[in-house]
Amino acid sequence: MSRNFTPDKILIDQLLLNDTEAFEELYHRHCYPLYNYCNEKLNSPADARAIVRDIFIGLWEKRQTLPVDFSVSLYLYQEVRKAVVLCVNQKLEENKDLLSIQTQIIPGFAVVNLQQAKQPVRKSSSEIQYINSLTPGRVHKNHWWNYNPTGITKKAIKHMLQRAFNLL
Amino acid sequence: MTTKTLYNKTGRYICGASMPAETKQIQTWLSCTKHNKAFVSKEEKETVERMILNEVKAQTAYPLFYPKAEAPWWQKITAMF
Repeated sequence: MSRNFTPDKILIDQLLLNDTEAFEELYHRHCYPLYNYCNEKLNSPADARAIVRDIFIGLWEKRQTLPVDFSVSLYLYQEVRKAVVLCVNQKLEENKDLLSIQTQIIPGFAVVNLQQAKQPVRKSSSEIQYINSLTPGRVHKNHWWNYNPTGITKKAIKHMLQRAFNLL
Repeated sequence: MTTKTLYNKTGRYICGASMPAETKQIQTWLSCTKHNKAFVSKEEKETVERMILNEVKAQTAYPLFYPKAEAPWWQKITAMF
């Protein structure tokens, strides 16, 4: 849970100065999603806890050698994926929790289950209604012909075209 | 898939010696996140966070080497009101 609105990049800069509060802020922002991901993949809260703990210990220990364009989200994303595969491999090597791997992890590798990853995330109608209620006019704004990232109005474009024609 | 096949696959993936199809399969599995609808209360989340943070603190001992600066007296007084 975040306690302030400081961007991650600034917190990483503060981490270089051994700022423990910045570290804890980063921790509270990213800890639970990481834990939840590991727990879903491994079905083991103890392993999930150990992975999250090791990732944050690694982040704290590497704080002085982080590159300039360091992205904490990308780092955590890469580390957690690596750690999950390592954990599965280690369990299989030690013949630990074989039953849970057979019943809960291996079915996840089936084609039917893997196809879910390729499908776009679909929001339920109630979620869409809620989002639309937060931003009135969003439904109409989503059309491609309304795509206007620069914010130039039609009137301004007409005026500019008229001026260009006049110059010709 | 058997546990032995999975062990070989993950082993090759870790060493960077897996076939492209195997890499894709493992990466897709890693990316496949079911939408978890199970409700977890704020207290439970905080408990998990606290437990892991305590372990991190115990292993790195950072509170010992870099203690938090104490709040100035005027902040302590304003916090009372």
